[in-house]
Amino acid sequence: MGSDAFEITVNCIKLVLVFLLMVQAVPILVWLERRGSGFIQNRFGPNRVGPLGLMQLLADAVKFLTKEEFSPKAATKLLFYAAPVFALIPGTLGFAAIPLGSPLKWGDYTFAIQGYDIGVGIVFILGVSSLAAYTILMAGWGSGNKYALMGALRASAQTISYELALGLSIVGIIMMYGTFNLSEMIAAQQGTMHFQAFGNTIATSWLPNWGIFYQPLAAVLFFAATFAESNRLPFDLAEGEAELVAGFHTEYGGFKMLLFFIGEYGHMMVASGLMATFFLGGYNIPYTTTEQVYQFFLGFVESANAASALTSLAHFIMFTVKLGIFLWIFIWVRWTLPRFRYDQLMDLGWKTMLPWALANTILSALVIFAVSHSW
Amino acid sequence: MTADSFLFWLLAAVTLVSGLSVVLVSNPIYSALCLAMSMVGISALFATLGAYFIAGVQMIVYAGAVLVLFVMVLMLFDLKTELATFSRGKISGLIKIATVGTLAGFLAGAFSMSIEFMEKPATKTVVAEAGVDMSRNLGTLLFTKYILGFEALGILLLVIAIGVVGLARSKGGTHAKH
Repeated sequence: MGSDAFEITVNCIKLVLVFLLMVQAVPILVWLERRGSGFIQNRFGPNRVGPLGLMQLLADAVKFLTKEEFSPKAATKLLFYAAPVFALIPGTLGFAAIPLGSPLKWGDYTFAIQGYDIGVGIVFILGVSSLAAYTILMAGWGSGNKYALMGALRASAQTISYELALGLSIVGIIMMYGTFNLSEMIAAQQGTMHFQAFGNTIATSWLPNWGIFYQPLAAVLFFAATFAESNRLPFDLAEGEAELVAGFHTEYGGFKMLLFFIGEYGHMMVASGLMATFFLGGYNIPYTTTEQVYQFFLGFVESANAASALTSLAHFIMFTVKLGIFLWIFIWVRWTLPRFRYDQLMDLGWKTMLPWALANTILSALVIFAVSHSW
Repeated sequence: MTADSFLFWLLAAVTLVSGLSVVLVSNPIYSALCLAMSMVGISALFATLGAYFIAGVQMIVYAGAVLVLFVMVLMLFDLKTELATFSRGKISGLIKIATVGTLAGFLAGAFSMSIEFMEKPATKTVVAEAGVDMSRNLGTLLFTKYILGFEALGILLLVIAIGVVGLARSKGGTHAKH
């Protein structure tokens, strides 16, 4: 946690801040989702409360908090109440492990702009997000309702199936950067495109050094699999309204429902953050390195502390922009594509994405071996 | 008590209590969920030992995939008969206590006999390695020194997969007539 009281205090505050950041982004995302869907479907969306309908979120929050508290008669009380709380865990833990900005050097201290820096970042994030299946199963079984149970079974089958494609699709990325650590992956994507091949350095000046140019197939597979993992359309069979009422959260209302919402948006944020980290250079500003940005700010302010703080801030804004782009794509796709049929979902997961991810892994391994070997 | 030892005792308590609950709770769903909880506890214990990669893999494979399947299949069953067969009679209770006692005796005996053997490695200090070096060493060991065991396990899993398919088909599979 740190070596002295100041560092420990800052790190503890940081943990809370990252959590609040995630939770506070949810109302904005809900607003964006509703206004965005209105925009896409050529209607207004919520625009009555406050400017642009932004106050709708506060009204919704009050509504959620003051709704009647109830549980169905057939429910298993313990699981029914535990499920929404558990829904927060995967998103929260996962998002806290993603670097949001370049490390802030303040005097002798170095603060990572993230909840905590874990050596095996990506393994940890995959591990905690795989626990999301329990939430859905607990909610579905605990509700004592056949629609909820059907939704939960579908959702967990889907999550397990796509976890394989998700995990395999990034093996190429891990091999390429030779690390599990997200900060090191971001550090490897600085500046313009340059890489070592057959003992020569190949450099271009017109492309940023982003993972998506090295692993385009992995980017497509990973992004598609994260849609399935976060139960978003076109993979939202868990709550297919037409056949299952609302799936695993049929019996939930009020604040318990809101917790599931936060969990789902947390999943989206983790997925978007990982997309940005793996494939779009993380918090790096395109075409620049962290050092260049730091030198740029040193030209404006005198102290090194202030320059480092400004660098971190600029990188944090850059990361937020990239995060926002992916979150918008999540919302965009939701209102563009129809839902899959169940057999199509399983075919896509097992017969299409898994073989392609395997092929990508083997091909990447061969190419990395051939290119790094000095013949 | 230092932070490390506090963490160890807390995680050990969580793992053991949830592990005990697996056999003490009468509802199979709760048993499976408790097993998942103890898997998460074991994974956290690995992390406190510095084996972050193993911790992550433990979480992904056991807690995240294997036990989710357990819970999923359990939820498909009508558990009323299973709950009823969990008897609370005196004779079966005696048998249970006797079984647990025997097992505990075996364990205690095993520990007391192997205590010298177990104390030996304590003199060797283990240096916690960074994530990638650790997993690199693990990979190197798996594919060089322990390659035979690794391949044998692979064949075992293949045999299991074929066996399951064979068993499922021999009864007519999903199209079986009851």
